[in-house]
Amino acid sequence: MTVKQLTELEFFSSVTLPDPERSIDGVYIGDLLSWVMGRASSGDAWITIMSNVNILAVASLADTACIIVAENVKLDDVVIKTAEEKNINIIYSAVGAYETALALSKAL
Amino acid sequence: MKEISLNILDIAENSVKANAALTEIDITEDNERIILTITDNGNGMTEETLKTVTNPFYTTRTTRKVGMGLPLLKLEAEQTGGSLEISSKHISQFPDNHGTVVRATFYKNHIDCTPLGDVVASITTLIQGHPDRDFLFTHSFGEKTVSLDTRQLREVLEDVPLDSYEVIKWVGEYLKEQYTA
Repeated sequence: MTVKQLTELEFFSSVTLPDPERSIDGVYIGDLLSWVMGRASSGDAWITIMSNVNILAVASLADTACIIVAENVKLDDVVIKTAEEKNINIIYSAVGAYETALALSKAL
Repeated sequence: MKEISLNILDIAENSVKANAALTEIDITEDNERIILTITDNGNGMTEETLKTVTNPFYTTRTTRKVGMGLPLLKLEAEQTGGSLEISSKHISQFPDNHGTVVRATFYKNHIDCTPLGDVVASITTLIQGHPDRDFLFTHSFGEKTVSLDTRQLREVLEDVPLDSYEVIKWVGEYLKEQYTA
């Protein structure tokens, strides 16, 4: 499934989509950034509730397909603008990490 | 990071990479705070570099000179209501007294404060990894101060390298003894 297709499902909405055709190959869930940095795999959809600008660097280093910001957490404009500049796909999820993962599990 | 001791390792590695002969690692705790100060006499940073150093995109993708260490330390300190301060003197402008000071303040009663972790392991790892460099470690809490100075060790040991098994084992035990005493 592509990142663009994910945004069309229930609960999900697009925030930045500079690389809409990027394929999602797996899922990783975590909020401790140093931990995620070494463990998320390339092509993962990464589910987190963190909203600091550092999430963009982590996604970039781990080469994730997209960041899914769960539980209706909103990002500030600086983070969104930086994500666009750095070509990082971000999606909002209106539900918690578990429900988000369940929805992904059905769709993938 | 999962424990502050891992941050210590990470930031002290920056000092080593900046050619510091001596890196001082100080942890001072009071009832409310953990104040971590890492002071080195390495090459230091220019004002321009200093401005970008907590930006996670500074070199992370291309050259990775500094990496995510400082942005993460800043985030972790701020998550507890604390702060991160960095000051630096670059060798080009301060040929005789260059170096960097990184100070992170954590409020330890904040629910998001990570535990201090195994500081002894971090210190022994640093010495083992860089036996040619000096480290001064001090940890003050309550009435107690735990300390280790590799310059003093070197004087006593003469030609025995600091990364030899016996020395590292002794350092670990010496620190642990001070904590339990």
